[in-house]
Amino acid sequence: MLLKLSFNSLYARLLTVGMTILAISVSLMLYMSVEKLRTSAYTSFTDTISQTDLIIGARASSVQLMLYSVFRIGNATNNITWESYQDILNKDEVDWAVPISLGDSHKGFRVMGTNRDFFTRYKYRGGQSIIVEKGYLFDDLYDVVLGAGVAEKLEYGIDSPLIVSHGLQSFSDHDDQPFRVSGILKKTGTPVDNTVIVSLAAIEAIHVDWSTGAKIPGLETPIEEIRKMDLTPKNITAALLGVKSKLTIFSLQRWINNYPEEAMTAILPGAALQELWRVVGVVENLLLGISVVVIFTTLIGMTAIMFSSLSERRREMAIWRAMGASPFTIVGLLMLEAIFISLLSIILSLVLLFISLSVLQPWIDYNYGILVNVEMLSINDAYVFALFIFASMLISLLPALRAYWFSINDGMTIKL
Amino acid sequence: MRKSIYYSLLISAMMSVSVAEETRQVDKHEHGVGVLNIATEGSSINFEFMIPGADIVGFEYKAKSDSDIAIVNAALTKFGQFENIFTLPSSSNCTLVDSMIEVDQDDDHDDHDEHDEHDDHDEHDDHDEHDEEAHNEFVAHYSFNCGNVKEIDRIDFPYFNTFPNSGELEVQFVSGVGSTSFEVEGDKPFIDLKGKI
Repeated sequence: MLLKLSFNSLYARLLTVGMTILAISVSLMLYMSVEKLRTSAYTSFTDTISQTDLIIGARASSVQLMLYSVFRIGNATNNITWESYQDILNKDEVDWAVPISLGDSHKGFRVMGTNRDFFTRYKYRGGQSIIVEKGYLFDDLYDVVLGAGVAEKLEYGIDSPLIVSHGLQSFSDHDDQPFRVSGILKKTGTPVDNTVIVSLAAIEAIHVDWSTGAKIPGLETPIEEIRKMDLTPKNITAALLGVKSKLTIFSLQRWINNYPEEAMTAILPGAALQELWRVVGVVENLLLGISVVVIFTTLIGMTAIMFSSLSERRREMAIWRAMGASPFTIVGLLMLEAIFISLLSIILSLVLLFISLSVLQPWIDYNYGILVNVEMLSINDAYVFALFIFASMLISLLPALRAYWFSINDGMTIKL
Repeated sequence: MRKSIYYSLLISAMMSVSVAEETRQVDKHEHGVGVLNIATEGSSINFEFMIPGADIVGFEYKAKSDSDIAIVNAALTKFGQFENIFTLPSSSNCTLVDSMIEVDQDDDHDDHDEHDEHDDHDEHDDHDEHDEEAHNEFVAHYSFNCGNVKEIDRIDFPYFNTFPNSGELEVQFVSGVGSTSFEVEGDKPFIDLKGKI
């Protein structure tokens, strides 16, 4: 009875109540989408590399080394020599190692030199391997393998010709040595998607005439001659490393960090990611804080609207009293109203959230490589909703008490 | 971010000496920041602590007075009982199989060997040679064999109470699941390892 009355009363004020519900649900959606993006970004981030025990590079901060070697963000301070790499490779603790050479680009995409082991050793999202979707891995010196994103954005297919540019933003191309697409990888949701992968020998080959730092026009070494050269790299940018036993990781890490011939750094990828996340976490907590404040603002807004509606509803209250409702019923009625509004707002916010995330998901994935998990509602969300309903109930006590006071004073006759 | 400044200082320091014939490099030594590495595989779990002397005994100058020497010895004795430093959940059934405790110095590279006798932590009586040190570092390794490693979902650190001068602990952790890191401080002296082993 009370429920029906309350509902009808709300329905009679459809416009104001509707706007209130909309305001609350938008603020709830804001909170939820920040929370969703936050958790999705974290999982996407930590899922980028798995089963690699150590990453080695020139001495740098662990975060920097991880960003350029795994995420292709920023640049290496230095390269490391092939000799040092071989020294590490010869350590008993080392099970496998994959060298990586960075520094060149193709139309804004990073070019990475590596060997074929990369495709079997690089794992992401809890141990998934890279899959070749079309074509095959590089066979010839001038073969390239494209990440799914590169092929899609540049509309390349198998056998598409490709010129590698020198450096990351430069006008000089390695146009005397054109490449050919031999394979395209399946989408991984990792930075591999946006990488052009060639062999280490190819990186060496395109820099044959660049020993002075620039190419001398007209003096290019013919390709036939380059093919006959020893193209063992002289240096690499970084290397991924696997150990035989996890228990030896730290002693190997110390050995590499203290390697006397060359200043190097070895990092544990997960540990470095966590370190970075502690920094990023400040910003994400800030975002979360802001959205919580927005929720509170709308709750206060809801109370304000209830207050202002009280004066125009004094007549309604009087009728309720005339029909036998006690002042407590009036209090209950208003609290019920608040609960009703917040419940409807939660439902609407979920609908809005899922619609907007479903629409935006491909775009976020494409541009930022973050796969937003649309389906799951976490237990945490349920707590937040429960807390929200409780808060709205509590806050509605204020107008409810005022209505109680009104109804006692006014009784059945109102003097407006 | 303070750390990256240290690193960049280190890099620039190293670049400036790179022309010299011998290689010179110095490990970072940051007061208030201890390092802890934890690795687990199979039924084993290993702990390696590297903690600046200032965090443990409150000074890093030459311990000449008898009282200072006694303080260093007392600290080493405390490290001898791992329960003073950290505790593992009893359900994991871990037993200590090996340990090594020593005071290491890193500003004088010549005499690392003379610390070997600390491998055996029964001889905590004669640490006189440490009196010369300007920068000392406490190094402690503990190896455990556990009945049920997976039960280790949390490690507590009485370390912060044992040594009132202690700052934070930078923890690197690795297991079959992957690696992660923690920053542990005295106001929250534990790490949560749920789902990480």
